[in-house]
Amino acid sequence: MARFTDDELMRKVQEGFIVESEADMTESYKKALITQLTVQGDTELMSAPAYFMAAKDAPSTNTMVSATAIIQDEMGHANIAYRLLEDLGVSRDELLYERPPEKFKNPYGFDQPLENWAELVTANGLYDRAGITLLGDVHRHTSYGPLKRGLVKVGMEENFHLRHGEVWMRRLCEASGEAREMVQKAVDWMFPMGVEWFGMPDEKKHHNAQLDFRLKGMTNDQLRQTWLKAVVPLCDELGIDVPAHVNPDTEEVELEFEFPVQYDPEAKRWLLDEPITWDQVWERWRNRGPMNEQFVDWMRTSRQAVQGVLEA
Amino acid sequence: MSDSDRLWEVFARRKRADAFEHIGCVEAPNSDLGRVYAWQTYDEAKWFEMIIAPREAFHCVNRAEQPFTLHPSAEALS
Ligand SMILES: [Fe+2]
Ligand SMILES: [Fe+2]
Repeated sequence: MARFTDDELMRKVQEGFIVESEADMTESYKKALITQLTVQGDTELMSAPAYFMAAKDAPSTNTMVSATAIIQDEMGHANIAYRLLEDLGVSRDELLYERPPEKFKNPYGFDQPLENWAELVTANGLYDRAGITLLGDVHRHTSYGPLKRGLVKVGMEENFHLRHGEVWMRRLCEASGEAREMVQKAVDWMFPMGVEWFGMPDEKKHHNAQLDFRLKGMTNDQLRQTWLKAVVPLCDELGIDVPAHVNPDTEEVELEFEFPVQYDPEAKRWLLDEPITWDQVWERWRNRGPMNEQFVDWMRTSRQAVQGVLEA
Repeated sequence: MSDSDRLWEVFARRKRADAFEHIGCVEAPNSDLGRVYAWQTYDEAKWFEMIIAPREAFHCVNRAEQPFTLHPSAEALS
């Protein structure tokens, strides 16, 4: 360590320098990278039980196969992030099996139950789009070589998940009134969830080590806007209502509610006319959503069962 | 990674005449399971050829650090 100072490294990575080893890092760089990779790994990992919960509702064998393939991909993506963490001296076993569930860093959206096929495909359409937006930016801009290479596979597969989501959302919307109603209901609670996914607005977040060290390239608001510009036109085209519209003059998407707002997880409903502070959002995130413990538990039980048999 | 696991570096090429690319890494207690994990995990392309080798089999020629991740304690993992 300490080949460079923080300032030197920040300047170098802004000029295109690629970090390949710990010897190139500073303590703060390593810390920011570990946080980023933990969020990434936990998000990929916790998408698996969420998708699994809804995949049980797949309408046919073929759809079950594609849903299961997506779940397998997500486990593989988690593996990539955790592997990189292990090479930085972080123990994957500790991360996966010894952390209390509330310490997992996945977004609040993956603490929520996905309860039917419409919710699964809407998650593919909206959340996997969020994943592509975030990881696509990291892939293009990251100064960490091993991560840039690892994301090649992730990007290819995420595009498949997204396509799966969009094709199925369209299919359900073109079918009966009931099917489109299910998509509308899914979008009603998942759309604001997606808006929140990108975190605090830029005006509230002045210092950002991930940007300084070029672990990502775009700010929260830029990423959120990128996501909105894909999702809002899609919903418009499908005839699905979202509380947002494209401003024809600026071509930017504008929200039709005062973000952030309160969420009622029991009712799966956003209180769009109840604006809250970011401290209150953080508190809701810290309290975790209804499926947090259960999802971590699902991920852990099979290993415990197999280990029990192996040691018997 | 459990005590009996080793790291296996995964290389693959899409078609004849392509060069091998280092595409990732898996953990497994032996090469048989390593092959299965590699094939299942890195299924993003229709590979013409995929091979694995234990990380500790690689030695850097021109640098002081260990190859792949260049992690200073990579040797300790083997
Ligand atoms: Fe993923
Ligand atoms: Fe995905």
